Amino acid sequence: MAELTLDAVTKVFQEGDGSEVVAVDDVNIDIGDGEFLVLVGPSGCGKSTTLRMIAGLETISSGEIRLGGSRLNEKQPAERDIAMVFQSYALYPHMTVRQNMSFGLEESTDLDDDTIRETVTDAATTMGIENLLDRKPGELSGGQQQRVALGRAIVRDPEVFLMDEPLSNLDAKLRAGMRTEIQRLQEDLDVTTVYVTHDQTEAMTMGDRIAVLDDGELMQVGSPLELYHRPANQFVAGFIGDPSMNFFDVSHEGGTLVGDGFEYPLSSDVASDLGETTDCVLGVRPEDVSLVESATDAHDFRTTVEVVEPMGNENNVYLSFGDEPSDEEPDQRFVATVGGLRRVERDSTVVARIPEDSVHLFDAATGDALHNRVLEEDVETQATIN
Amino acid sequence: MRNPLSIIRRRWSDSDDVRTDGGTAAERTPFLQRESVRSAPFWLPPFLLVALFVYGAILWNIVLSLTDFTGLGEPDYTNLDFENYVVAFTGGTPSWSDLSVEPIWNSLGNTVALMVGFTVFCLVLGLLLAILVDQEIRFENTFRTVYLLPMSLSFVVTAKFWLYMYNVETGLVNIVITSLGFGPVEIVQNPDLKLAAVAFALVWQFSGYAMIVYLAGLRAIPTSHFEAARVDGASTYRLYRRVVLPQLRTATVSALVVLTVFALKAFDFLFSMYSGYQPGPSADILATRMVREAYANSNWAYGSAIAVVLFVMALFIVAPYIYSQYRRGAL
Repeated sequence: MAELTLDAVTKVFQEGDGSEVVAVDDVNIDIGDGEFLVLVGPSGCGKSTTLRMIAGLETISSGEIRLGGSRLNEKQPAERDIAMVFQSYALYPHMTVRQNMSFGLEESTDLDDDTIRETVTDAATTMGIENLLDRKPGELSGGQQQRVALGRAIVRDPEVFLMDEPLSNLDAKLRAGMRTEIQRLQEDLDVTTVYVTHDQTEAMTMGDRIAVLDDGELMQVGSPLELYHRPANQFVAGFIGDPSMNFFDVSHEGGTLVGDGFEYPLSSDVASDLGETTDCVLGVRPEDVSLVESATDAHDFRTTVEVVEPMGNENNVYLSFGDEPSDEEPDQRFVATVGGLRRVERDSTVVARIPEDSVHLFDAATGDALHNRVLEEDVETQATIN
Repeated sequence: MRNPLSIIRRRWSDSDDVRTDGGTAAERTPFLQRESVRSAPFWLPPFLLVALFVYGAILWNIVLSLTDFTGLGEPDYTNLDFENYVVAFTGGTPSWSDLSVEPIWNSLGNTVALMVGFTVFCLVLGLLLAILVDQEIRFENTFRTVYLLPMSLSFVVTAKFWLYMYNVETGLVNIVITSLGFGPVEIVQNPDLKLAAVAFALVWQFSGYAMIVYLAGLRAIPTSHFEAARVDGASTYRLYRRVVLPQLRTATVSALVVLTVFALKAFDFLFSMYSGYQPGPSADILATRMVREAYANSNWAYGSAIAVVLFVMALFIVAPYIYSQYRRGAL
């Protein structure tokens, strides 16, 4: 069984001047057999370092990595039964595609030449590159090289696939196609996969589960929907979703949130979630903000349209509180996503409704989530069963 | 070599302007307006100088090798033959001398031995040094400089320096040999060791150069190739053997050409080491033989013939390299 366990894994780099940098700080993740886990986070968050520790390309400062119950820490990369796809593909330029794909089998197994030949041809057929086998990497397009790199990994039939931002060198169209393909491939092969990306769209669409890292620390692990609807903290809430969740700095004064230019009354249920906390952050996703005809509710606000970004299927409308367009940069700007057919004029005054059901509240000091949005039942179950 | 050749080729490539169908009168650029003509002030002077002093001199030398020119006086160009080459390879008494002349086989053999031995050892040592220096060691720059420094010395300095090192009583090499229990050994004048001693000193001087070339080659290989190979299960030896070395082919070829040409030119080293061009038969190379024939024996034509043999050898080494560079579009 290929369950991969990261147990309190920490990586400390020694700087030249003797100081220490903690790249990965006490990360605990259990990755089930055949699961597709996406490690996501901004640049420098330690996700690649984590992956490289699993691969054995970096030593583990403390903690333990186990594969199927056996400790990996001291094992050489060759002994770990893993295959890795690199961001730059790392195809050997002097070898043909066939030689590139055979290399791992020749080095790590005792298979005879005929078996290797057959296995490589099979894997190449799976990847649709059987007609490229005699070419050298330099003669291939980016997408073809990507396929070869994947083929080189699957041909070894490893316990674990590690992928380090494998799609970041492709153009947008190709990337979307390969995304689906990798996903399908992983499902067919049913091999435990750890996939590193900084792209939250890739994380959302591909992963069975997502682990969000920031500054070396694990922020949250969960299914895509769980992370989207039930973020553990403000970082996860802001990182997952595009456009990002809107955040307002507010203070809680007796059941009402007082922000810069607006007041937001809370029901007693929500207010009780806040407890004693006074400094908090109000979060709401752009698609939950709706533009209505007139202000009828305490959660409706008169706003001015600053910018409209038409996306075709939808418009991203940038709003600021108040009904007078001004030349000054507004203190508080937020985004609402509305249907693409709806016309919204710049500088016009609209009423934005921020429904209480959809707000998230975070502790301003720690960033921890104090209250998450109310979910309809089916979404709720989906978000929790995963 | 690169400069004059590229000039010539540029001249040739201009002929691409000429249309095979002859074009029409109206389309033809006036002679004085052509780019090649208008840029003549820039390319013509160096072109003529190189043509005269490099290729002219080579041609003249070839012609001279076909005469019977010896001693004082003027060469006689009326009676050209290949006698000198026949003598050079078979020996015998040439028409221009009463004495029989030694063939060049001995010095040719020494030249090839020095060339091959020196180049191979230099490359191997340079590669090993480069791999070691590439291991993210401390004081990398210092090591690099230390290894490269001997190359900045002139042959004269290296020769005199190694003369001290090899000295039978006070030389460091002999002190080491003695301390290992093999007794002091005469090296510089020992017919069995001479050529090896020369090659060793040259390796000392030039392995740093091979190291730099290889280091540049190693640095050009992405780290991910090393990592991919390790994940693929290759041992360190197999990794270098199968992934790294094949990618160092260009570096090897460049270093090989430069080092071989250096070995062919080892004349000044031998000249300084043996204070003249009489290193004795066991260390005699074509260059010393050539100078000896020309300047000690005044057999000018015969010396020229040896020079041509040396030139052809150099051509055989350099030409494939330049051709491959040209095909890859590097020139």
